[in-house]
Amino acid sequence: MAQQKDKDDFRSQVEDRLEHLFREDSLEATDERAGLVEHPLKGLKAVMLSIDWEITDSTMDSLLNEIKNVEFIYGEDKIILTFLQLLRSIGRYVKANKGRAHPEATRLINSVYESLERVALTEGMSRPEKEKMLLKEVSKFKKLKERVMLRKAEKQQPVASEVTPPPALAPESKEIRREEIPVWKEAHEEPRPEGRFSEMSPHEAFAYALEEIKDVIRAEFRALRAEIKLWRESK
Amino acid sequence: MAIINLKKKEVQAKIVYYGPGRGGKTTNLDYIYKKFRSRIQTEMVTIKTHGDRTLFFDFLPIEIGRIKGYDIRIQLYTVPGQVKYESTRRLVLRGVDGIVFVADSLSVRRKENVLSLKSLAGNLASYKKSISEIPLVFQYNKRDLLNEGIPLLPVEWLEKDLNSKLKAPSFEASALKGPNVVETMKKIIIMTIESLRKDLT
Repeated sequence: MAQQKDKDDFRSQVEDRLEHLFREDSLEATDERAGLVEHPLKGLKAVMLSIDWEITDSTMDSLLNEIKNVEFIYGEDKIILTFLQLLRSIGRYVKANKGRAHPEATRLINSVYESLERVALTEGMSRPEKEKMLLKEVSKFKKLKERVMLRKAEKQQPVASEVTPPPALAPESKEIRREEIPVWKEAHEEPRPEGRFSEMSPHEAFAYALEEIKDVIRAEFRALRAEIKLWRESK
Repeated sequence: MAIINLKKKEVQAKIVYYGPGRGGKTTNLDYIYKKFRSRIQTEMVTIKTHGDRTLFFDFLPIEIGRIKGYDIRIQLYTVPGQVKYESTRRLVLRGVDGIVFVADSLSVRRKENVLSLKSLAGNLASYKKSISEIPLVFQYNKRDLLNEGIPLLPVEWLEKDLNSKLKAPSFEASALKGPNVVETMKKIIIMTIESLRKDLT
């Protein structure tokens, strides 16, 4: 009897102490975002949650498909379209490289989605605020691209690592294609995913294709110059 | 195994948050740390990979204070959830006194939950401990996602998959938003300290 009383007393003392220590009298952080129940990002969010450490072709394909769906819905919103373009670029890179992808890529894909969700669902967010968030993610993306290029350059030059060429001179990465990299001006222009090609007038499509070809030739020349430089330095 | 210093009247118990990767173990500790930082007055230690994943463990010590003449300290740990870190998980479980199994409620994670619970039982067995005897609390995390239309496992399925034999206390929770995070922790602390009580008299 006394033993039971002692046990109860002990338990109640522990409970009181925990109650005192962890009473939830402070305000919970409020989430100003609207719910996702009937929101077009619902599917994309589900895919984002299912992308795990084991990134598979199937989950990445689902991501790319969901991006297309959301893109269709937000066809008029250039800021959201640029966010989606960022997601697509990183998604393709991760899909192509999986475990070999730069570790920062998985973090960035989550960060871009978080910002996208905030921009899409926060009521009353001003355009400058949205643009600021987008710029931040674009800047992170560019940094990632530089790191990927640098890493690739380092791999190609294991012996003379102390003369690592600056990113601008590094060979163009094959892991992130140049035409996939959004630049800030594209936030103010119509994005150029392949699906929209058919919507262009013939002269627009021709001009677009010409720009693409120029970009490819420039990239090839840059890569060639970097290769020649590396070859000369190794002599 | 708790460290009990009868001379100094100190008790130090170790509680480990176990479960599949991306299930919310670190988020549990993060929530507790951020919300009660001013009261617990300790620092959370965390070692992460580039991808924001737990590499070794997270560690959050909590001073409960003096009870029945004993200074009681609780150490909360998490294990890395990724499959490849099995040996690290086993190492973190060494000397464990209580466990919170953080199950992921996402439908796609059903198999991972079961595999993780099996791994827990196996790792405990390697220290001659039984999962059915150690203080254990289940937390079915991410329940808030139900409101967002994300497919989740019904709680009955989680109970059947994980807790049908063990019959441990369980909580539906959202480590990200807070509901039942503290309740889970309180429950495991009470169960753990009670299990040590016989050594204190």
